[in-house]
Amino acid sequence: MAMTYETRMAWQNRMLLVPALVLLVCFILIPAGAAIYISFTNDALNGFAASHPQLVGLKNYVRLFSDEGFWNSLIVTFFFVFGSSIVGQFVLGLASAMALNRPIAFRPIFNAAILLPNAVPEVVAGFIWISMLAGGKYSTLSRIVGLLGFAPHDWLESTPLLMIIVVNTWRGIAFAMILMTSGLSAVPGEVYEAARMDGATPRQIFWRITLPLLRPTIFLYMLVSTAGTIAIFGLIYTLTRGGPGGATEIIGIYIYNQSFIAYQLGYGSAVAVIVLGVSIAIGAIYVRVLKVQV
Amino acid sequence: MTSKKLTCNARTVLDFRLQARGSEMKATVLRAGVTLAIIAGAIAAAVVISRAVVGSRIVANSGASVETIRIAEHRQPRIDALNKSVPRIEKQLGVIIEVVEYPSPEKDYLSKLLTELGAGNAPDLFTTNYDSDVSDMVSAGYLAPITAEVKAWDGYDQLFDVAKKLSTSADGQIYALDSMLLVEQIYFRRDLLDKAGISTAQPANWKDLLDRAREIKAKTGKYGLLLPAGISWGSGAFSEGFALFVPGSKTPQIANDDGTLNLNGEGVRDIFRLYKSLIDEDLMPIKPLLGPEPWVIPKYVMFPAGDLMATTCGTWCYIYDWGKASKNPVPDVTKNVGTWAVPGMVGGSSVKISGSNIWAVNAKSAHVGLTKKVLLALCSVDATVAYAQVIGNVPARKDAADNKDFQALTELVPVLKNVENGTFLKSAPGFSVVSEGVARATEALLRKQTDASGAQAILVKYVKDLLGDNVVN
Repeated sequence: MAMTYETRMAWQNRMLLVPALVLLVCFILIPAGAAIYISFTNDALNGFAASHPQLVGLKNYVRLFSDEGFWNSLIVTFFFVFGSSIVGQFVLGLASAMALNRPIAFRPIFNAAILLPNAVPEVVAGFIWISMLAGGKYSTLSRIVGLLGFAPHDWLESTPLLMIIVVNTWRGIAFAMILMTSGLSAVPGEVYEAARMDGATPRQIFWRITLPLLRPTIFLYMLVSTAGTIAIFGLIYTLTRGGPGGATEIIGIYIYNQSFIAYQLGYGSAVAVIVLGVSIAIGAIYVRVLKVQV
Repeated sequence: MTSKKLTCNARTVLDFRLQARGSEMKATVLRAGVTLAIIAGAIAAAVVISRAVVGSRIVANSGASVETIRIAEHRQPRIDALNKSVPRIEKQLGVIIEVVEYPSPEKDYLSKLLTELGAGNAPDLFTTNYDSDVSDMVSAGYLAPITAEVKAWDGYDQLFDVAKKLSTSADGQIYALDSMLLVEQIYFRRDLLDKAGISTAQPANWKDLLDRAREIKAKTGKYGLLLPAGISWGSGAFSEGFALFVPGSKTPQIANDDGTLNLNGEGVRDIFRLYKSLIDEDLMPIKPLLGPEPWVIPKYVMFPAGDLMATTCGTWCYIYDWGKASKNPVPDVTKNVGTWAVPGMVGGSSVKISGSNIWAVNAKSAHVGLTKKVLLALCSVDATVAYAQVIGNVPARKDAADNKDFQALTELVPVLKNVENGTFLKSAPGFSVVSEGVARATEALLRKQTDASGAQAILVKYVKDLLGDNVVN
């Protein structure tokens, strides 16, 4: 029996998804499944377990919950995500989007200036910031504060978490700004015009119109940004490698350290599986509990 | 009727648009096809040209097919030393040697190497710098045995006995050959201690060593002794710090003959107690040890500046850290920097000998036989002296002493003569886990989160978690 036009088109559309689906299965689902399996083994990079990994049941997970390093990395990750993604990037990204949404002079230059950090590769950005924040009198920041009469300071040693939050905020503003700009452009101009005719103040317009209408964009940003920030690795690895003393050991670094520095692939995978669960839970909260269409 | 007609018209319009779009799509597909064909042609041409270049190199070398042996090496001085020997070995064995540059520091190098060994695509030949890693590589099945080739080799009789012992695994086989030796002890600023009126005599025991560090702190305000510690220091926390004090402790060997590990012993706790005293009394720098690359500030900055008066180190310090290859040298280093053997807890002393530049053949190499020949060539006098010149470790061969280039390394000549007087730790499967456990235990001490007993408990728990309860004694 010949297919109807609609059925044929539906199949065509499905076939268009096949390449993406194949990639998704090969590079996301199968590795995730493998990681879950490995998390139940004692697989390692070196030693007898490397050639003869054995199933150890829930041993890795039991060990994980009594591992202070793991809990420390979760706490560090929470502050890092909250500070850089939710507060820093979002606030500055929204402010930039609103400022550049107006007809101001040299707008393309401001746009480019904000977008530039995103164009710098992660590792290069890390090294740039090391030269800014390193200890000693020759680091850029120490020179700047030196002009104000302060002694040189090793910023990555004294306030490491704050510094990586600052760096990640710097790097992520552009992404937040682009999303917020697209959200702002979707708000009809008539709404603002009507509000102004009704005598609304700029503050009222922001809180009563702009922010509520931006809600779907904000939550889309929060979802993508939170998941992306949890997964950050290169920037922090270049800057601090998780130190000093675990102060910047976000979960991505912790997984790397367990898997490739301590050679425990099984244990590292168990941590990765927990992070996968946390990320999915956060996504579910954003998308379902808040009933936001994304 | 009208609506049906309208629907038919709409369908006609839609079909027409689809046909038009279909023609556009065909044109797009055609353009894409042509582009892909051009790209494929370009790639094919590049492959043909590159193969022709390699082929011409092969033919130019011997007129017949020549095997390529890939060697992993890391850190520029070591790569330079290796490259010095490559032309000679290529000529001698009729092979092409490709030096694959790996990342440094040591831990990054080893992580990449182990990942590739696990995946089966590692280079044919590689080094590891710690004996503690070799046992576990053997257990993992990464290394090809080389016993027969090494014992039949004309350089075997020239190897120091300690090098032979270090190279031989618990099963009596040789899987990796120690081409260089690390001679480790305590290095101190003789010039500055003399100036401050502090004794430079050999400390009699740990208490004496600690008292010396206290005296340094009291008289100069500088740090008295550094023992490598913490997670960032990696394997060095064990090999360059903790392990030096094991022979003089109540637990003089960690590896037992039955494969178990002596970690619950009193000696292990006593060593942690020594760390604890140095940390709590602010006798050693702590902050730099908690950051990335923790050796940089204490060894390359504080020691040359005189802010740190003594540290555990090896012969490489006389050349690489503070000598002619250093960016921040100590003037007249052998005169101004003296050495103490590591005192025992209650008396006696020892100098720790361990392997370095430990060459091993990838068990999955396609050219195992030829790679073994290259390995032996890299353990020749010329090759090891080339490494000694830039790294500062001593060749594992007695006949290196007669080499004129080595004789020019006046810092190392007396050390080579005394190599056989050193002590060494027996290695065993699981030592890389012990090494990481010591790093974690000393990290807890650095962060003042625990005492000596707590540090020992951290070490024991870590090893038991990974290797099983029965492995720890």
